[in-house]
Amino acid sequence: MEAAGALAHDHDHDDAGHHHGPPPANRSSRVDPQMLGMLLFIISEVMVFGAFFTAYFFIRVVQGAEWPAAGTELPVAIAGVNTAILLSSSLTLHWALVSIKNEDRNGFRAGILLTTLLGATFLFVQINEYVHVGFAPQDHAQGTIFYGLTGLHGAHVAIGLLLLLSVTIRAFRGHYSAKEHAGVEIPGIYWHFVDVMWIVVYATIYIL
Amino acid sequence: MAAVDTTRPATRTAQPLPQILARSVERVPTGWTSWVTTTDHKKIGIMYLVLTFAFFLLGGVEALLMRVQLAVPENSFLDPSTYNALFTMHGTTMVFLFVVPILAGFGNYVVPLMIGARDMAFPKLNALSFWLLAAGGLVFYASLFFNPVEVGWFAYAPLSTGAYSPSGGVDAWIFLIHLTGISSLVGAINFYATITNMRAPGMGWGRLPLFVWTILVYSILLILALPVLAGAATLLLTDRHFGTAFFDPSQGGDALLWQHLFWFFGHPEVYIMVLPAFGIISEVLPVFARKPIFGYKAIAAATVVIAFLGLLVWAHHMFATPSPDVVLAFFMISSFLISVPTGVKIFNWVATLWRGTIEFKTPLLFGVGFISLFLVGGITGVFLAVFPVNWQLTDTYFVVAHFHYVLVGGSVFAIFAGIYYWFPKITGRMLSESIGRWSFAIMYVGFTVTFLVQHSAGMEGMPRRVYEYPDVGNLALWNMISTIGSFMLGIGVLVTVWNVTRSLKKGAHAGPDPWKANTLEWFTESPPPANNFDTVPRIRSVEPMKDIRRQVERQSPVEAPRPQPAPEHTVTA
Repeated sequence: MEAAGALAHDHDHDDAGHHHGPPPANRSSRVDPQMLGMLLFIISEVMVFGAFFTAYFFIRVVQGAEWPAAGTELPVAIAGVNTAILLSSSLTLHWALVSIKNEDRNGFRAGILLTTLLGATFLFVQINEYVHVGFAPQDHAQGTIFYGLTGLHGAHVAIGLLLLLSVTIRAFRGHYSAKEHAGVEIPGIYWHFVDVMWIVVYATIYIL
Repeated sequence: MAAVDTTRPATRTAQPLPQILARSVERVPTGWTSWVTTTDHKKIGIMYLVLTFAFFLLGGVEALLMRVQLAVPENSFLDPSTYNALFTMHGTTMVFLFVVPILAGFGNYVVPLMIGARDMAFPKLNALSFWLLAAGGLVFYASLFFNPVEVGWFAYAPLSTGAYSPSGGVDAWIFLIHLTGISSLVGAINFYATITNMRAPGMGWGRLPLFVWTILVYSILLILALPVLAGAATLLLTDRHFGTAFFDPSQGGDALLWQHLFWFFGHPEVYIMVLPAFGIISEVLPVFARKPIFGYKAIAAATVVIAFLGLLVWAHHMFATPSPDVVLAFFMISSFLISVPTGVKIFNWVATLWRGTIEFKTPLLFGVGFISLFLVGGITGVFLAVFPVNWQLTDTYFVVAHFHYVLVGGSVFAIFAGIYYWFPKITGRMLSESIGRWSFAIMYVGFTVTFLVQHSAGMEGMPRRVYEYPDVGNLALWNMISTIGSFMLGIGVLVTVWNVTRSLKKGAHAGPDPWKANTLEWFTESPPPANNFDTVPRIRSVEPMKDIRRQVERQSPVEAPRPQPAPEHTVTA
């Protein structure tokens, strides 16, 4: 190639006389940086959960603790219903996203509102379970890791709910469109992650 | 400086006169608010470099205080708990407040320039990263006025639990971990998104500068390792304050859990601290050997392989714990394996220098110093990976010598190479060569005097982290030599500090490309304008600046000392 090395590749279409500021940034990847950032953040979240699951493994397998602790019982059925509630919130979220992509604002609003309400219900049931489960984190290592894992997950649900709430408020203010829906999609991925993580938590804590 | 009208005469070219593009001239904000409120990666990078270097000096003072205490047997210069606080703060400062963030500082400043980007992908998060780091340092050092932490930088449970360390120092340490952890995590996500999304046209993965490769891998390791430490520190926090039993065996917990979680983070952390240092060396050596880097692909691949293996070796820090032999053997062999890609890199660096036209400038001196010292640290690391040997040497000064060879001889020397290499780009001024050479010589000799004898002290059984020792064997001699060396090392560092402060005003003007370097950051002015580049060239090789110089040479056959292609010039196609 010749002289092109030092050339402005992107000024060709531009009126050089009126050019201000830097050239438009070159995009070297098809993934949005925001989307990529969220995916990387989720990987780091998986590692945080990994640390807590390691603690679970040490208590239950390495130390061989009885599970659940003697004299306690975990409400497997209620938590199962709660699991169904949380998983259905993923479906309604998907409905909301598909709706906004098709410019169906009513479907979008209904979907996102329903998702938020289902998430809040999950958190409410979880807190209710804490009140009635009959042991405290200080009682024994089993209690510690029970509250540790479900509490870590609950904190993520709470953060996810804050995101969903802001999306809901913006949805009712008429934000987002078929072209501009990254603000729904990216928090949505986080919410799906919270759901999937709950399946793992539920399986290890309540079922196994 | 950024707002200067840039109507300079254009380079003489074979083509029609280039058009001159003027940047919009706006008042450049000045004063301290321009630093506090900035989201510009260059200003944030400078703040990173300055702040972390201040922590380096603080950590150095702590080290010197310890060396004074250890200079003679049964010394009473420091009391035991002060000594404990000093070695904890020294280790924590150097790891969390110096080496990791200063590499992020170089990354911040240089990566967007190297890949031809305007800024990082998330400039506001970038500012957040810096201020969280500053907050972490503040919280940690505030504990000096209360109860400084005394549990060592890896804060082993149960020593760090409420029963044995009730004071708030451990909590300050935990908050430092959380704050600097979030800082580094956000920074790592930012680097990754920047590097994948914002490369110049034509800069495929095979043309990415090696420093950018290492920052990419550094980011991946941070994303994978840091959250585990954050989780572990959270467990420790709840154990200390909410009566949970993660680390309390009497209630069914397990103290060894802390060590596994900590070192699952801690060993990748070693590579987090050294891989970008490798990257700096891989940039510096080819420039001053006037030769392309030997085995670009092998070096990039070795970086990835080291990072992968680095995630699988954590228990070699725990050979002294009760573990099955098969586990010990696994971690011994996986640790051995790392020496293969590391050896690949060392050979590549040596081959880069081999038959080059070497210019013995200060960055090269630090680079070559790095190779020799890091090699020694790597070899003692192989000794320590043999678990029966490790049983003999664990917690002795042999270990201290080993990791200072890789962290100081490795990372710190590379950081100094980076300072000397990029200072002209950051400030527009050259650092003094003669002072730089003195600094290198004093540091190299001081380092060797300090740490070489510590191998011997360790072989004679000198334990680490003990504030006094009896006068047996040669311990008194080794320690006195080591103390003398440590002050030399300190003086060598101060010479560079002096060099930097005096060159800010008096240094020779650098121009855009004083080293005739290879990568894109030298394409723009020094210091770069706020928008970095007015035009970004298409990248055709690993060494875009070499391509550009050749092209300018071709277009101006008469003038031998051709001017640098300043970024303002554009040639109509």
